[in-house]
Amino acid sequence: MTLTIDSGILQYIPKGTYYEGKDEQFNKIWKMWSDLFTYDRYLFSLSTLLEGTGFSKGMMAHLLLSNPVEKGNKELMIPDGVDEQFEKKIIMYNLSKEKMPRALKNLLFLAGKDSNASKVNNSRTRKVILDYLFKDKQPEELDSMAINFKKKMAILVRHALGKYDLHKVLNGNIKTINKFFGRYSVRHDLPIVFHLFDKRPVYGSGDVVPYFKKVESYWEARDAARSGDIDKFRNAIKNLPVRTAMGFRNTFKLPIDKEEIYKKSTMGEKEKLQMETAAKKSGVKIKVDYAKQDLYDLWKALYHKILSGNEDNIEKINTAIETKQEKLPYIDLGDTVVLIDASHSMLGSKERPLHPFLTSLCISATLNNIREIIFTGGDNSKEVLVPSGSTKLWSGLLKAIELKPKTIVVISDGYENTMQGMFNKVYEHYKTKGHDFNLLHINPVFAASASEGSSRRLVADINPMPVENYKYLETEIIFNKMIENTTLVKKLLINKYQKLIGGV
Amino acid sequence: MINILKKFKDLQFGEPQTDQQMTVIPILGEDRGDVAEPSNVSFKRTSGYGTMVFDNEDTKAGIIPSNYMTRGKSAQDHAMSGAGIALPGETVFNNACCIESSQGGMLHGAEDVDILPASLRKAFTDMELRKRKKYNKLWPRITAWLKNIPGIRTGNAHLRYFYDDPKYKNAIESFCAAFEPVPNQLGAFILFEGVPIGIEIMPTANHWVEYWELLIRGCYGAELVKLQATGAIKKSSTLIIPKIPDDASAEEIESIFSGFTKSVQSSMVPLLNAIQITDQNSDVNSSGLHIEVLKTDSGGGGDIITQNTEPIYLSIVL
Repeated sequence: MTLTIDSGILQYIPKGTYYEGKDEQFNKIWKMWSDLFTYDRYLFSLSTLLEGTGFSKGMMAHLLLSNPVEKGNKELMIPDGVDEQFEKKIIMYNLSKEKMPRALKNLLFLAGKDSNASKVNNSRTRKVILDYLFKDKQPEELDSMAINFKKKMAILVRHALGKYDLHKVLNGNIKTINKFFGRYSVRHDLPIVFHLFDKRPVYGSGDVVPYFKKVESYWEARDAARSGDIDKFRNAIKNLPVRTAMGFRNTFKLPIDKEEIYKKSTMGEKEKLQMETAAKKSGVKIKVDYAKQDLYDLWKALYHKILSGNEDNIEKINTAIETKQEKLPYIDLGDTVVLIDASHSMLGSKERPLHPFLTSLCISATLNNIREIIFTGGDNSKEVLVPSGSTKLWSGLLKAIELKPKTIVVISDGYENTMQGMFNKVYEHYKTKGHDFNLLHINPVFAASASEGSSRRLVADINPMPVENYKYLETEIIFNKMIENTTLVKKLLINKYQKLIGGV
Repeated sequence: MINILKKFKDLQFGEPQTDQQMTVIPILGEDRGDVAEPSNVSFKRTSGYGTMVFDNEDTKAGIIPSNYMTRGKSAQDHAMSGAGIALPGETVFNNACCIESSQGGMLHGAEDVDILPASLRKAFTDMELRKRKKYNKLWPRITAWLKNIPGIRTGNAHLRYFYDDPKYKNAIESFCAAFEPVPNQLGAFILFEGVPIGIEIMPTANHWVEYWELLIRGCYGAELVKLQATGAIKKSSTLIIPKIPDDASAEEIESIFSGFTKSVQSSMVPLLNAIQITDQNSDVNSSGLHIEVLKTDSGGGGDIITQNTEPIYLSIVL
């Protein structure tokens, strides 16, 4: 079969771009998922080890779990260097790398929630769900999960057990409890299951049961809120997340200030960012830690502040950018010159201002061995270079080639702003003359149909690589080679598997 | 007959840009005129079918580019019959036209904004049509314009069918990435396959920055994509970039390319001199700004705006 795929299969986020409606994009990505799965199931599963969006990985795991491995051929098909359970291990590994809300959403796909995916329930899905929720979880972790994600966990447990067996578990049927929870710390975790289904946890006498502090506080706060006992409520919410406490306050209409809830209950770093504005309205100031933000978000904040004339924390953001860049996992393409298009169109859309240009800055930071970065175009009149006007991209290519690097990385939307074709002419001229360099054209303006030609080529025989997020550069480079050299790519991915998860 | 650009003082031409069959030669110069900042002038609403209301937050009168078109969901899309002068505060234009034949509802603010496709604009050189207060006056021409475009429903005069179709939307949007403004750009000379199609001159570089996408995408880009889709023009690049000699150095390549760019410019710019005005009618005179409707010997035409007899705006399709 002729396989047409690009790294978009790992970069999909379900939202429409300016050019392509949501459904149109999803259909294209779905076709690519199905095609790669049919082409080589193991290549498909191994590719999910590369950087990608949680949504894509969730949908790809769904595809794997909905299709049983063919019996009889199993031994023959499993590639060298991985064990029989590698698919499940990859799925579990990917779940463990996601933040918990995303991981739970991906599991909810199996229950037919949060996506176009249909319900799937088999022994493998049951194991994946229950392992993720209960295997090797410390009581403190389980305690937090049961408070923060009570509803989601309940849906997943109900889906994995089925209504009938769940009923038996909640009524203390030992055989059924052992069937589903025997492999976990059953006696420890069972109170959590009760809590998920709105039953106050009961601890058996004589058992050594870890004390689920938050779950206990939850029930205390709920009882206090229900009976209107404010003092008891104040005391109970100390261990609870602000959302839960606020939820009780609002549901039971308690006469207690929002400010007090913000102050008394607990908040994580991400929650602080999310709640910053709401909390400020209530008179509470939340301090944002720039060192904990993503590189792209830091560049975005820096540009936003400089362009809006707000000088607050510029130094801190600059320092955080430098620190982040030093810690990035580098991709080495050999001696490299980077050519960045800073023309007006790299400003991006109104919905995502500056996105292509900021992505370009982040991509250049992930590359190692850079001799020089050449910007063509742009407005230098501010503290930062702002995409502006038109640009002679071919002139930048000339400069780059004259530096004689091994690799030239061009980051551009592919529009030349001069006579169309001049860039290609320069490239062809030097290649014909025998100049030995590789040219990679990265297009930071993502479109699902990039492989079908909507992503403009600068050079006739070089397919532009759509990279919407700098974290996916390695993914893109591997996908670029996937069709022309499947064996090599599979080998690279198996090496990655062994490094990340461990092989046979 | 009058040469079209002679009245405009101190204009220069920038380096030509080409993409597919479209060539855009930037027209450069110093800002001129004393008019409202373009960002202060905005479409506000439709107050009836065929009536467009603009808001001008400036203290000076502002210019609304010729055949400004606005589209919004669940409302009747509209376009101006020509250029407009927006006085400070609110200005109502009641000779505008509806561009959807079976959609009701009033627009509130602009969602999607463009300039009408180039060939449709020619209709408004007819003074009677331009002044006619009839909301459906453009429908027959819109229906004809949409005819034979693959994948577009026929029978209704809905320009939106074309602009909203993902395939065509993508194609016209790409021109915005190919023809980006250069410093001091006031306008552009637009050609398809080397044939003049339009001339646009704005009072200031800020005006060009504000409106160039509407023209390059919605007016000329849409016209070219339509011509490609109907097979009236073949989808291939028209300009052949010169061959670079094998032993050429980087400096020589720079020189070959800039020489070629200059030769393209010098072969195309004289085409402007050949365009002659054959008819000129006064349209609107307001707040020191005077709109006249021009007709050219090529059967095209459009609007010229003068301020104290000095021309500051030109928008003609050829």
